[in-house]
Amino acid sequence: MNYPVWFVPSFGGGLLIALVAIIHVFVSHFAVGGGLYLVMVERKAIKEQSQTIMAFVKRHTRFFMLLTMVFGGLTGVAIWFVISLIHPAATSLLIHTFVFGWAAEWVFFLVEIVALFVYFYTFGKMDDRTHQTIGWIYFGAAWMSLFLINGIIDFMLTPGSWVSNNDFWSGFFNPTFWPSLFFRSFMSFMLAGCYGFLTATFLEDDTTRYRMIRYSGTWALISLILSVPAGWWYLTALPSPAARLVSGASPTIKRAVMTGAFSLAVLAGVLIALILLNPKARIRSLIVIVMIAAMGYMGAFEWTREAARRPYVINEVMYSNGILKKDVERINQEGFLKNAKWVQNKEVTQANQLEAGRELFLHQCFACHTVGGFNNDIVSRTKNMSFGAMRKYLTSIHEKRYFMPPFVGTDVELKALAAYLTAGLHRKPLTDDSGAAGDRGKVLYEDNCAACHSADSIKPKMKGWDLAKIRASLDKLSALNPAMPDYNAPSADKDVMAGYLFGLNNPGAATSAKEQGATLFDDNCAACHSMDQIKPKMNGWSREKIRASLDKLSALNPAMPDYTGTPAEKDAMTEYMVKQTGGAK
Amino acid sequence: MNPAALIPTADILTAHWGWFQFLLMLTFPLHLIAMNAMLGTVLTAFIAHLFPGRAYHDLSHELAKALPFLVAFTINLGVAPLLFVNVLYGHLLYSSTVLMGLFWLAVIPLLIIAYYLAYIYDFSYKKLGNLAMFVLLLVLTLLMVVGFIFSNNMTLMISPASWSRWFATPGGNLLNLADPTLVARYLHMMTGSLAVGGLCVALYSSVVLRHDRDVSEVGVGLGMQLFTWLTGLQLLVGTWFLLTLPSEVMKRFMGGNTVATGLLATGILLAFASLITGYQRKVMLTLWLSLPLIYVMSFMRDSVRTGYLAPFFDMAKVPVNVQWSPLLFFLVTLVLGLALVVWMLAKTLSTKKAC
Repeated sequence: MNYPVWFVPSFGGGLLIALVAIIHVFVSHFAVGGGLYLVMVERKAIKEQSQTIMAFVKRHTRFFMLLTMVFGGLTGVAIWFVISLIHPAATSLLIHTFVFGWAAEWVFFLVEIVALFVYFYTFGKMDDRTHQTIGWIYFGAAWMSLFLINGIIDFMLTPGSWVSNNDFWSGFFNPTFWPSLFFRSFMSFMLAGCYGFLTATFLEDDTTRYRMIRYSGTWALISLILSVPAGWWYLTALPSPAARLVSGASPTIKRAVMTGAFSLAVLAGVLIALILLNPKARIRSLIVIVMIAAMGYMGAFEWTREAARRPYVINEVMYSNGILKKDVERINQEGFLKNAKWVQNKEVTQANQLEAGRELFLHQCFACHTVGGFNNDIVSRTKNMSFGAMRKYLTSIHEKRYFMPPFVGTDVELKALAAYLTAGLHRKPLTDDSGAAGDRGKVLYEDNCAACHSADSIKPKMKGWDLAKIRASLDKLSALNPAMPDYNAPSADKDVMAGYLFGLNNPGAATSAKEQGATLFDDNCAACHSMDQIKPKMNGWSREKIRASLDKLSALNPAMPDYTGTPAEKDAMTEYMVKQTGGAK
Repeated sequence: MNPAALIPTADILTAHWGWFQFLLMLTFPLHLIAMNAMLGTVLTAFIAHLFPGRAYHDLSHELAKALPFLVAFTINLGVAPLLFVNVLYGHLLYSSTVLMGLFWLAVIPLLIIAYYLAYIYDFSYKKLGNLAMFVLLLVLTLLMVVGFIFSNNMTLMISPASWSRWFATPGGNLLNLADPTLVARYLHMMTGSLAVGGLCVALYSSVVLRHDRDVSEVGVGLGMQLFTWLTGLQLLVGTWFLLTLPSEVMKRFMGGNTVATGLLATGILLAFASLITGYQRKVMLTLWLSLPLIYVMSFMRDSVRTGYLAPFFDMAKVPVNVQWSPLLFFLVTLVLGLALVVWMLAKTLSTKKAC
């Protein structure tokens, strides 16, 4: 709200950050581990007086120089560019809080560059002892960069006591600082070892090749084994909402952790097998798989860290959309638009409702949702919801789905956002149907059909139709009459309208409970899944089973919040579901 | 729309703003020197390709070897001032960055390509043959495009009056082309950079390449010619830039602000003096005149920014919550880091001598 938003509708900034970050994470960790690997292998070459190993180290150094200094250095700057573009408020907060941490990191970057240049260009020219010292300086500077950035990155996940005292060191040495530092260090050694493992296979001299394969493989394996307890320590240090997210409350995060663990297992297995079995075999392609697995392990870890922070960009301090948690209450009172800098509609009126809603979307939702794009597309995610249901959903969005930030603003602003998300994106009617459960079908009918034909005029035409036939016809109105436009509404709306139309010729039909059930479903479930999506999953379920499952939804899927409706509401929803799934058995 | 209404609230500083201003003004000229040397090296190496003879040929080759270092240090020394600009002017810079996001992001791939081309030029100099000069031309073009993007952002961030264009064009594809100072400012920067770059080449040729008399001589000759011609041209371009400035900013340099006026007078004097010594091919003397000139120019640039922002932003009013220990930590790190760099360079030099 303090900053403008870079708005490319179908392209979300999150994806760009992820892309640049993943590249940089691999390259930068590789640089750190590589520093140690180079000096250690050089030491081995000196000790064993092996010119082949020395040449191997020199080739590696050149590769490190080209990859880490050019690509690593510039992708580091790229992350800075990208985050200041996508999350300017968070970047500003981080820069202001840790400016001297970043500045010290810049010094180490400078030392690292000079050391690497000197190390590479003096190979074979400098005395061994000094050259080794330069190598150690290179590694030390690279690791110190990791040390400093690690503090700042983990601050974003666990700001610890900084939240109350705003002290640099409290934020820097935050609760996940040490486990993450150990984990990252071992990961970086592992990546460098894996790379040496691969390149060693290209050595022509047999003896040196086997020796280096064994050396690098052992190096990677030990680092990998050490990273496991460090990773575990890291997970246990996470604060409870984040830990809950990681341990299963969000399916995507859970998948990421599983992928990480799986890659780890594959990696460990293949590595051990390779080293213990036969370094003389043709193992290059296997090592490529090992490298991919290693990157998967690391990637899963990074993804988890990023995801576990949701809905915050700086945990418990700033939401992903740049709104400070401490400001929420005040803004709810005063209004978001009034407080926002980069909006044209400072208050919502009847005339500007959709436009104000669009601005609210831009500043509160677009940080994570694209419009018609690949990443968290808002259009497909809102298609099942009516205006009323959206309003209800927005009021408790953070409570229902922890990883979404709360809507911040007044009721009128919330209504404007709901209007944009339904009427603006889907041309849905702005009927205020919340709370009007009994009449909702009628309201929908009047909004969508009554302009051409009244209920009385179509009542005789539907005589003898059962509910299923009416419902099916609503899916394809143009088949009834080519002149009639199709009714493009969420299936829940169609269900409700079908109930209403059925009731025209069957006044005794017990539709009210069903309609209420449909509304309840719409309000509480449709944000995540439409009835059409869950119907197949409930195939063959008895009424009792449906009713019982509504008492404990999290038992069906840990990601699903429990439904907190009254027993009567659960009964009504059960009725509705029973009808939808083909009747009780 | 009132431009001031769009300016984001600045975040709390953790030290007096003077510290950041000091560090900014200390490190930015260092970045300029590295950047100038980089651009000058590329241009001189390119020109040397156009002349026949071993000396010119070898000069290109020698300059090729220095190029990757210069790119690396330009980027590294750019990080520090950009960091301090982020602290002092972040709320303005991030806003303009969003407006021109696509172009701003393009800086990274452009630099990566230029950087790798510099390495290709260095490592494959012999293999490239005549293609080498086209590689250089490409590097020069890429780097000058990066410079143009920077000029756009640095002028856009101090012009909140043009920010409201975002409402109609929020896709990050805006530039600051309508700003009447943009082209003059960009050309002023580039002319100055290439001139100082020429001087750097002359210095490199007279010190590092002195073992080969012919190469050293053509290097000094080309470098100093570049310096004098471009500094002469700069007197025109600089005047043009001054005249394009809004009158209230220009007046700062015309007696409205004592410091700004003094800076301009010093700058002109130093430029004239260096022009004379440059014409006489006195490399070291020209260098000692140009180094303070770069600092004077940086301070003038800062004064222009202050003049532009005067109606909107007063740094002294940003809230401060002083924390001394992180500042101390940085200063100690800086001293130790520089000591390590000096030690490593000393060891490298003694190794070279021994060789």
